[in-house]
Amino acid sequence: MSAVDLTQFHKTFFEESLEGLDAMEAALLALGAGSTDSELVHTIFRAAHSIKGGAATFGFTDVAAFTHVAESLLEEVRSERRAVDAELVELLLRSVDALRAMLDRSGRGQPVADAESEALRAELVRLVSGEAAVAVVVAPKAAAVSGWDIGFVALPHLLQTGNDPLRVFRELQQLGRLEVVRAFIVDGAPSQLSALDPTQCYLGWDLRLHGATTRADIDAVFDWLDGDCELAIKPLAEAPAASAAVAAVANEPKPAAPVAPQAQQAIASSETSSIRVGIDKVDALINMMGELVITQSMLSEIGEKFEISQLERLRDGLAHLERTTRELQESVMRIRMLPIGSVFNRFPRLVHDLERKLDKRVKLELHGEGTELDKTVLEKIGDPLVHLVRNAIDHGLESPAQRKAAGKSETGTLKLNAYHEGGNIVVQISDDGAGLNHAAIVAKAQQRGLISVGQELSDAEVAELIFQPGFSTAAKATDLSGRGVGMDVVRRNVRDLGGGVGVRSVSGKGSIFTITLPLTLAIIDGLVTAVGSERYIVPLTSIVESLRLRAEAVRKIAGGGEVFHFRDEYLPIMRLHHAFGCVDAITDIESGIVVVVEEGGRRMGLLVDDLLGQQQAVVKSLEAHYRRVQGISGATILSDGSVALIVDVGGVVRLGRSKAA
Amino acid sequence: MTGKQKTADGKRQAAAAPALDGASPADSAVPAEAVVVTLPADCRIAAQVALKTVLIDALVAGKVMLDGRVVEHADTAGLQLLMLFQRELKSRGGTSSWRGASDALNDAAGLLGLSQTLELPAAALA
Repeated sequence: MSAVDLTQFHKTFFEESLEGLDAMEAALLALGAGSTDSELVHTIFRAAHSIKGGAATFGFTDVAAFTHVAESLLEEVRSERRAVDAELVELLLRSVDALRAMLDRSGRGQPVADAESEALRAELVRLVSGEAAVAVVVAPKAAAVSGWDIGFVALPHLLQTGNDPLRVFRELQQLGRLEVVRAFIVDGAPSQLSALDPTQCYLGWDLRLHGATTRADIDAVFDWLDGDCELAIKPLAEAPAASAAVAAVANEPKPAAPVAPQAQQAIASSETSSIRVGIDKVDALINMMGELVITQSMLSEIGEKFEISQLERLRDGLAHLERTTRELQESVMRIRMLPIGSVFNRFPRLVHDLERKLDKRVKLELHGEGTELDKTVLEKIGDPLVHLVRNAIDHGLESPAQRKAAGKSETGTLKLNAYHEGGNIVVQISDDGAGLNHAAIVAKAQQRGLISVGQELSDAEVAELIFQPGFSTAAKATDLSGRGVGMDVVRRNVRDLGGGVGVRSVSGKGSIFTITLPLTLAIIDGLVTAVGSERYIVPLTSIVESLRLRAEAVRKIAGGGEVFHFRDEYLPIMRLHHAFGCVDAITDIESGIVVVVEEGGRRMGLLVDDLLGQQQAVVKSLEAHYRRVQGISGATILSDGSVALIVDVGGVVRLGRSKAA
Repeated sequence: MTGKQKTADGKRQAAAAPALDGASPADSAVPAEAVVVTLPADCRIAAQVALKTVLIDALVAGKVMLDGRVVEHADTAGLQLLMLFQRELKSRGGTSSWRGASDALNDAAGLLGLSQTLELPAAALA
C-alpha cells in the first residue's frame, strides 16, 4: 500500500526537481557570466541537495546517485576548495540536462540511467578530488553489491491481505538468483492443527538474493507487504563494488519494471489536468463567491414578497449581481493566466548554447516576465518564440568581428519584452544586429518567383516576404534555423492563436519582431451589431471608433472601392452585408453606422446597420460545429438564444484587401 | 469451489485407502495400515479449511501417506498446513510419507524452501 502512497507524490517530486534544475541552470548561467555572488553557489547546492534527497526517498536511485556526485563537486566549490571556471559551469550545465532527461525517463517508467548519463557521471567522479571520495560516492548510492541478505517473517494476517510470500519470492527471482537459506515456523504458531486458522501465516525465511540488485528494487517488491511482515535487508558483506556498479546499470531495465507502470500512470493522468494557482487568486475567487451568495439571498428576499415599491432595490440587486458575475468570471479566467516568465526562463540557456555554437557574443535582456497570459496561449507560444530568438542570433546578430568593424560593441543585445496593450499581450524580440538584408531577400524572392524582377518594394513589403512559405535566405541550412520551415510557420502558429506577428527592421541597426496575442481564447468583449436580420459581434479590442458618415465624406476609388476620410487618413470601407452576403441590410451609408477597426496597424471601416450594445461573448468554435469561414472567428449565443457570428477583424481586413486587389 | 469437492473426494479416498491400495498395482509402496490423504488439485488458501479437517482425521492414524500427484495449484497457506500437520504427526509419534507430488507442488515448495522440511519426493519419482 505504501507503493500507492508514494507514487502519488512522484509528480510533485518531478515538478519540484524540475524547478530546482531551472534554478540551478539560472544560477549556473549567472556564474558563467562572471558573477561572484556566493549565494549562487548555495542556490545550486541546495537545489542539487533537495533533488538528491527526494530521489532517494522515492527510490530513484540512479537520479540520487548522479546528483550525489554533482553535489560532492558543488560542496568543493562551496567550501572554496575548487574555483569556478567555464569548464566546470559547462559540465554542471550538462549535468542539469542529464538530470532533466533522467527525471523525464523516470516519469515515463523507462530505465533511468543511460550511456550518456553514466559517462557524465564518470566525468563528474573523475573531477571530484581524491580517489577515496570516489569510492564512497559510487558504492552505496549505486547499490553496487553482489547481493542481499533478506530476513523475512510474515505477520499472521499476511495471507488475509491477499498477499502470498510465494508471489513475493517469484518477484525476487526476477531480480537475481534467490536462495532460501532457511525456512522456519515462527514461535507463535499453534502446536495443534485443530487450533490452526489456515488463513494465518506462521512462517519466516532467511533469504539471500544474489546479483547486482539495487536496494530500491528489493524495497519495491516488499512495498506491498508494508505492515504485513517483519523485514531486515542487509547487503552481502565484501561485495566487489566497482564492477557491480556497472552490472547494476546494465541490469536496470528488468528490475525497474514492477514500479514503473504505476509512476507512468500517475504522471499521465495528472499531466493534462493540473495547474498551479497562486493562493491570492483562489482567495479572490472565494471573496467573489461570498459576494454572489449575499446578492443571491438579497434577491430572493425581494422576490419572496415583491411590491412595486421595491423596484429600485431589485434593480440595485441585479446591477450588483451583474457586477459580481463579471468579477467572478474575471477571477476564474485569471486562474488560467500564467506569467510569461515561465517561457522566457528557457532563453538564457538557449542563448548561452547558441553563443558557443555560433561563436557570437550575446547579452540577453528580459523585460515584463510577470506579464500574464492564458495557459493555452502560453503553451503554444514557446516554439514560435524559440524560433524567433534563434533567428535573431543566427541571422540578426553579427559576429564580434563584424560588429567591431561596423563600430558596434562586440556583444550584441537581444531583448525580450512582454507587455499588455489593450486586450492583447505584445511580445517583442529585438536585436541590435544587422537588420533584414533587403537585397538578399529581394533576390531570393525573385529566385523563388514570389515577386517579379524589377518590382519596387517598400521596406514593409520586403519584411512581409520573409513570412512567405518556404522562404529562407540562409546560404546553407544550419541546425538552428534556415530549414525553410521558418517564419511562415511562426506566423501560422501565432495566427492560430488569434494573434499576429510583424517585423520592423532598420539596416545596420537591428530588427524588432512583434507578436501580438489575445489574452485569452475563451471569452471576448464584443460590440453587437445588426446587419440585416443577422447579428455580428465585433471584438471590442479591435474597435477604434464608431461613427455615422455623411454621403459626401465617402469617395469612390478606381476598382469600385470606397474610402472615407478619418483623422488625416483615408480608410477603405467594407460593407459587411456585402462581405457576408446578408440580404435586407441597409445599403445607404448615411443610414448605417461605420465601425472603424484596426488590425496589425491597418484600419478599415465596417458598414453595419446598427449598434445593439456591448456584450461578453463566450467563443464557440465555428470550425468544430460547421467549417472555417473567412472573416469569421467563431460564434456565440446571445441572451435571446439566437446565434451571432464573431467577426475576425484581421480576416475581414485581409478579405477587404483581396477584394480591392 | 472445486477445491471443496476434491477435498471431499480426498476424505472418501482416505477412508477407503486400503481398498484402493489393492486395486492399483502401481502403488506398491503403500503400507497396509497407512491412511492415504489425496491432496486436491487446488491446494490453495480457500481449500484449507476442508483439507485441515481431513488432516486432523488422519493424525490419529499414525501412518499417513500424502498423495500430491494431482495438485495443480499450491500456495503458502497450503504448504504451511502440510508442514504443521507433519510436525504434529511427528510429535505424536506418527510418520508420513509421500505417494507422489506434482510439478506444481514441487515448484511451490522449492521456491519457498520447504521441499526438505516437507520431505517431498521429486515429481519425477511419483
